[in-house]
Amino acid sequence: MSDRSVDDAVRARVRRFVDAHALTVGVAGTAVVLLLVLYVPVGIVFAEAFSTDGVVSLSRFADVFTDEFYFGDLANVLASPFAFGEHAVAIAGFLGGFGVRIATLGPVSYPAPVLPTVQTGLFGFTAWQALLSTAASVVIGLPAAYVLATFEFRGRKTLRSITILPFVLPGILVASGFYAAFGESGLLNDVVGVVGLHQSLLETDPLLVVILAHAFYNAPLVARVTTGAWENVDVHMVETARSLGASRRRAFRDVVVPQLLPAIATSALLTFIFTFMTFPIVLALGGLQLATVEVWVFNAASNLEIPEAATLAVIETAISLALTYVYLRYEAGGTGLGGSGGTTDRERFLPDLRALDRKRVAVLAYGVLAAVLFLTPLVALLAESFTTGGRFTLDNYRFLLERQRTGASFQTRPLPAIRNSLAFAGGTLLVAVPMGVVVAVVSSRDGRGRTFVDALSMLPVAVSGIVFGVGLLTGLVFGIDLPGPYRLQVTGPFAVVAAHAVAAYPFVVRNVKPQLASVDRTLVESARALGATRVRTLLDVQLPLVWPGVLAGAAFAFAISMGEFDSTVILASQSDTATMPIAVEDYLGRTLGPAMAMGSVLLVVTAASFVAVDRLGGYVGEIQR
Amino acid sequence: MTELELDHVTVTYGDTTALDDVSLSVADGEFFTLVGPSGCGKTTTLRTIAGFETPTAGTVRFGDRDVTGTPPEDRGVGVVFQNYALFPHMTVAENVAYGLHFADPPNGQSRDARVEELLALVDMGGFGDREPGSLSGGQQQRVALARALAPGPDVLLLDEPMSALDARLRDDLRRQVKRVQRELGITTVYVTHDQEEALAVSDRLAVVNGGRIEQVGRPEDVYREPASRFVAGFVGENNLFDGTVAAVDPDGVVVHASDTDFRVAGGVSGAEDGDSATNAWDALAVGDRVTVSVRPAALDPAISENRIDLAVDQTAFLGERIRVDGDWHGQHVVCHLADRPETDAVTVGFAPADARIVAVDD
Repeated sequence: MSDRSVDDAVRARVRRFVDAHALTVGVAGTAVVLLLVLYVPVGIVFAEAFSTDGVVSLSRFADVFTDEFYFGDLANVLASPFAFGEHAVAIAGFLGGFGVRIATLGPVSYPAPVLPTVQTGLFGFTAWQALLSTAASVVIGLPAAYVLATFEFRGRKTLRSITILPFVLPGILVASGFYAAFGESGLLNDVVGVVGLHQSLLETDPLLVVILAHAFYNAPLVARVTTGAWENVDVHMVETARSLGASRRRAFRDVVVPQLLPAIATSALLTFIFTFMTFPIVLALGGLQLATVEVWVFNAASNLEIPEAATLAVIETAISLALTYVYLRYEAGGTGLGGSGGTTDRERFLPDLRALDRKRVAVLAYGVLAAVLFLTPLVALLAESFTTGGRFTLDNYRFLLERQRTGASFQTRPLPAIRNSLAFAGGTLLVAVPMGVVVAVVSSRDGRGRTFVDALSMLPVAVSGIVFGVGLLTGLVFGIDLPGPYRLQVTGPFAVVAAHAVAAYPFVVRNVKPQLASVDRTLVESARALGATRVRTLLDVQLPLVWPGVLAGAAFAFAISMGEFDSTVILASQSDTATMPIAVEDYLGRTLGPAMAMGSVLLVVTAASFVAVDRLGGYVGEIQR
Repeated sequence: MTELELDHVTVTYGDTTALDDVSLSVADGEFFTLVGPSGCGKTTTLRTIAGFETPTAGTVRFGDRDVTGTPPEDRGVGVVFQNYALFPHMTVAENVAYGLHFADPPNGQSRDARVEELLALVDMGGFGDREPGSLSGGQQQRVALARALAPGPDVLLLDEPMSALDARLRDDLRRQVKRVQRELGITTVYVTHDQEEALAVSDRLAVVNGGRIEQVGRPEDVYREPASRFVAGFVGENNLFDGTVAAVDPDGVVVHASDTDFRVAGGVSGAEDGDSATNAWDALAVGDRVTVSVRPAALDPAISENRIDLAVDQTAFLGERIRVDGDWHGQHVVCHLADRPETDAVTVGFAPADARIVAVDD
């Protein structure tokens, strides 16, 4: 053996050791965090669903499936599955529970969806409101995609970027905004009160407000995804169709629509999943009257009926995981459709006033309506924070200062809440970003384990935040006995950060993974051939190239942490770990003002931090959820 | 100094066999080309040499070093890809210097001096501070070549490096690559689908088809004595006539194809697998089904033997010659003539010595 090959052998061994272990440490760390913070706690809660009096049994599920409260008329079918004769009646009754009624607001009559009934049960209603919310999101979102994809106007790119903003607004904030707009002492009431009317939309039709709030969240998602697909339609394809004799309308139908459908379908499916799992919006706007499964899980959990909460959560998770699976399959299958990202040709929206045709008038009208929907809650939030009974006042902010100075130890004080929110969000970044990058690296690599890793990493999105919180509380916070004299216990801020990190890291994965996959393979191979190990290649070539994705993922992680409510509300029972969203909920009382003032602070801090990260990366407008 | 050897290498992906029992050896300092149609396995062969693919069976050796299980970074190979693959977030100089982070520059040079030297070698001196995106395709490819050579690799691997460039630039760059290769005396494996390019640059070439090597040899040998029907059809243009052996004598055979008897005396290949033995007429027997190949330039109206009547489809002016595409009993026949035929029929013949048996099916 020559000296060179001895040298080579030693060097190779050292390199391979570092190479293998750097990735292994990352993967192991991520796995340990997920295991301890996600799988074990959630598993402990889920296990409750499968045991009755210490014996493994499915009787809890049988109880739920055959209970009319949960499944309405469908429960009869499930109770006696072989009585085929009665099924038609039961199913007809179940379906009859959905429909439209005529509601009135002051002098205006309008068709509105029916409220929950005995016929549909809890699960039926949850699906019903998710379906309506999805429909509303698609109806409101599609015209926006049309406008963004086909017209050129000043601020188009900004508007396209802004469609990401609703998603990062904390749920409790959106709920408060709609409360401020449509509630009893809300903005709308104050306004119509001037003309002598006095009727709150939230009181006459809470379901409509819930659906609008869901559309506020998800219509921009539909618009975003569809605009992306629309911009990918190569204009040459449309021109080819036109040259072959298709009319403008026909070419649109035959060439453009088929390429948009997968995007519309995936975004609608995602909207359905999100709204099926909805919690803070329904809790704040509908209360128990409009209870969804998640609200009921929360209700059961706060009454310490853990087995019931667990049973419901298992069923809920199974449904949302199934839908998520369909979504992932569909998403993977749909990506092939989007051409080569061809040339897009946009018309000027208003070159001059004479160009204002019927189409453009309709677009303008839509624009006004959309602006009202999206600005009203935010304006109302700010307006209500500065008014009491229609008069301008700073009392609400004075209340915050007052509470800060004199708040009792059990009360949530504003400054610590702000400080906690920022600190937890910072801590979340430190944990979630490395975790997300590691998972993205592992799952973008070819191999059999990839689908498995994909599914495992999507779990936090599909699992009820409430169950997650309860699991962390009963698991980590109260402590888990380890073999031997050891005991694992994570409390206070660490538990909250762990919960936020686990909730946030999938967004890092989703932003980093596609970019990592699009890094040209030959770049990686060139680096390897030049002598870089896998880890060096990752650090020197891949990460610098996907840096915008990492930053965007970080921005999301930060915003998710700032707005996280579901598990925080359970974990942050002590006032020293309360965050801003908890404070908002805490201050929601007989008067709107204080909560709105706190909400405004949350709005400003969230928006500011998101914009800061956006400026840092300059890329957030281009990422995916 | 490095010879390169593949010893019974097989690469499979699931049920697909990309390389089927491939053996070849490349001499030290040789410019060796893998040529074949797309999907034939030539790129897989290159990637196996680089270490990006692991053989299912067989060994890869650099000199006496078995590198079969060695990761790419420890092999000492320089790779240049079709799409240049310059790191977009680094300057030209940083790209060229990248490999020098993992290996000291040869001859105890400083890193900067090495970068300067390599950039000068590919005529890119003074471009060190530029961003890769600001360069033309040809310039990027020369930087990629400099980057691959900087650490002083034992083997240079070029994967269709010219395919993204236009024809004139391709010729220039091809000459430059060849010059650099000769200057450094580096063992080089070049992958291309362009048989003309392969014939032009190689010391030796391997024709790859369907995951197997059909023929290895010097360009002129492969051109003149194709070892199989595939090679005859792929390397250079050829007219292939299928027929039956009607008579065998010590100097050649008579092949009956359509309604004509051809006298064939240019040699035989394909009688045995992988054997390009010539003039093995005794291996043939009356009744064997064979394929006869004749180059377009061998067809000439002035030759009185082996006459065939062509119905002319098209003619094309090539400069020195006129290309005639014609039809003979339903078969497409190409010939290069001195003059454009005046009628739509032309009769050409070929010398028996210019006709060769390239496939035998007995």
